[in-house]
Amino acid sequence: MEDVSESQQLSHTFGNDESTNSANQGSSSSIRQETPAASIDKLDQWIEKLAKCEPLSEGDVKQLCDMAIEVLQFEENVQPVHVPVTICGDVHGQFHDLMELFQIGGPCPDTNYLFMGDYVDRGYYSVETVSYLVCMKVRFPNRITILRGNHESRQITQVYGFYDECLRKYGSATVWKLFTDLFDYFPITALVDNKIFCLHGGLSPMIETIDQVRELNRIQEVPHEGPMCDLLWSDPDDRGGWGISPRGAGFTFGQDISEQFNHTNDLSLIARAHQLVMEGYSWSHQESVVTIFSAPNYCYRCGNQAAIMEVDEQHNRQFLQYDPSIRPGEPTVTRKTPDYFL
Amino acid sequence: MLSPKEKKDKVVRSTDIDALSCRLSANSKGYFDPPDPFIDVLVQSYKKYLRFTSGYSNLSAGRVTRTSFSESKLPIINNGTYLRTRLVDLIIEKFIQKFNDVQIVSLGGGSDTRAFRLLEKYPAKLRYIEIDFEDSCRIKKLSIVNDSNLSRITNCALPKLDPTSKEEFQSINSNYDSERYCLLGIDLRQLPHAGSPEAELLYSILDKLKPTLILSECVLCYLSEEENAAVVQFWVKTFKESTTYLSFLMYEPMSLNDSFGETMATNLATRGINLMTFQKFPTLASKVSFLVDECGLKRAFATDIATLGGYNETHQHGEWIDTVDRNRIRQLELIDEVEEFVLLFKHYCICFGEYSQSTSLSLVEDISQYQWVCSKSL
Repeated sequence: MEDVSESQQLSHTFGNDESTNSANQGSSSSIRQETPAASIDKLDQWIEKLAKCEPLSEGDVKQLCDMAIEVLQFEENVQPVHVPVTICGDVHGQFHDLMELFQIGGPCPDTNYLFMGDYVDRGYYSVETVSYLVCMKVRFPNRITILRGNHESRQITQVYGFYDECLRKYGSATVWKLFTDLFDYFPITALVDNKIFCLHGGLSPMIETIDQVRELNRIQEVPHEGPMCDLLWSDPDDRGGWGISPRGAGFTFGQDISEQFNHTNDLSLIARAHQLVMEGYSWSHQESVVTIFSAPNYCYRCGNQAAIMEVDEQHNRQFLQYDPSIRPGEPTVTRKTPDYFL
Repeated sequence: MLSPKEKKDKVVRSTDIDALSCRLSANSKGYFDPPDPFIDVLVQSYKKYLRFTSGYSNLSAGRVTRTSFSESKLPIINNGTYLRTRLVDLIIEKFIQKFNDVQIVSLGGGSDTRAFRLLEKYPAKLRYIEIDFEDSCRIKKLSIVNDSNLSRITNCALPKLDPTSKEEFQSINSNYDSERYCLLGIDLRQLPHAGSPEAELLYSILDKLKPTLILSECVLCYLSEEENAAVVQFWVKTFKESTTYLSFLMYEPMSLNDSFGETMATNLATRGINLMTFQKFPTLASKVSFLVDECGLKRAFATDIATLGGYNETHQHGEWIDTVDRNRIRQLELIDEVEEFVLLFKHYCICFGEYSQSTSLSLVEDISQYQWVCSKSL
């Protein structure tokens, strides 16, 4: 375990030139490289604004989502990613902790990032968080990969906060509609150098090979059942085989299932997020599955640490843990106390 | 201006609005089966009269009731509110069924509707006494006298009342006594003081002979260590010589000395709520030992809500909620907070302690179908 202060010196400076890295990434990268200079200026302005935790205007969100669809629609269900890369779990609208994450892991695009979903809901800054990550994606398409989590859905955001936050910050549901329409285009899994399979939830009894994931039609709302639902909802479990998930969607899968999947697909690891783990990361199934959770003190209530996982050129893995950020910008005094039973 | 003590008391009174807003949300999502018809009556009373209670203005009361009673809560809170209500009901009903003619004393229950539900279900078996701050009792009294259903259930013969000013509200006698139901607007912390007028008033309405259950849901946790012990000891002393049977039923948070507990204490402190015995009684074991060793009860039991609700993987058969009910509530809402359920519910517990002159008088047999994680006997 690396101490955080030391870890900041470890951030990879892999060259700042976008084009040198483009060949390194997926086959569709040539399409993404044609971002006009005017758009780059605009994106940089948006990123600067968002970095101060100020939301974009509704009109800007519309433009951003249109630009993002242009990028994301060409990504694959199993988006290829190369090392070195830093793999991150749930963020859940904890914007200031996301800024802390980039402090710990190193700034993007100097560090390549892979986020495994759940950018919105629960925290108080879902709008700023998802806007920021989507801006970064459009600005540095080969440097950051953003997968879809089970919260990137129309239904669940209406229960867990993103919908209400959009109403509160914009006065209408337009921005919620724009983002949830965009979520349909997010890739659902990523494959790091053909060895680490990354996704939000876990495995599906209907998926034996990664090629079967490639065949899915992902451009749709997260279904209530079926392989796409399972990939975003399932959890590893101590019990072997497939089990009924207490969440009411997806399945639980045992070590036998993980080992079989890794063997069949010649993988070294399944990296996933989705579950709160108190240390920020947690191994399961004799290190065939790792859970990464990147929202410290989740919901401002859980008291957990967060973590990200760096994978270097030699496929060495290193976890960086961090605590909630106490930042002058965040109005901790005025924010609502999380609910307890009183 | 409120004095520092009055400010603290106002914060403690405000926790009742939280509890009521949770019950309102759980009820509207269908958690209670059958639905609780009394919650809305209490909500209306708060909406109308909170502004007349000490420390509130029209503006601040409006803001509080609007935000508290309009938002629906997250599934985790609805679920936990249901569990808390249901688990306490299970024990209380066993108590009523065993002793048949009983007295329940609820400490700091505020707008809780349990009294009305039980009085309606067991009309001939029960006397229910509720003790809380004067203003909290006035809000409740107004709910009763202005609602024909509640008046009937509590045998209330008082005329309707509709105060239109702070003065008028404050002039309402917060006490209320019918044959079956009694409200007592006194500060619990004054009771242990020898010869206190509060204790005299209490003695005038208390039946010291009846089998009695003292109920405290998230109340003692706001008292200091000394007050906490003095209050429980007061009740034990009051009944020890006379009654055949006394029990304590408590629902309380615990810190478990971990980072979740620490965060809970910090978060609540930002609202001015101090969990003063949070460190002193951090675990189930410390809670039962408090009841037996410090308060003089003969035996005590405790279990955390995660186990009782069937969310604890390591105590898989500890749940009290039957499968049908559990499946019913788990299907009410989309749940994506499974790890959080366990974490939050682990930090709340049900404690039950009893005292009787004869060892044969005990509820232990009657609740033997329910497993406890921790217990202690004299």
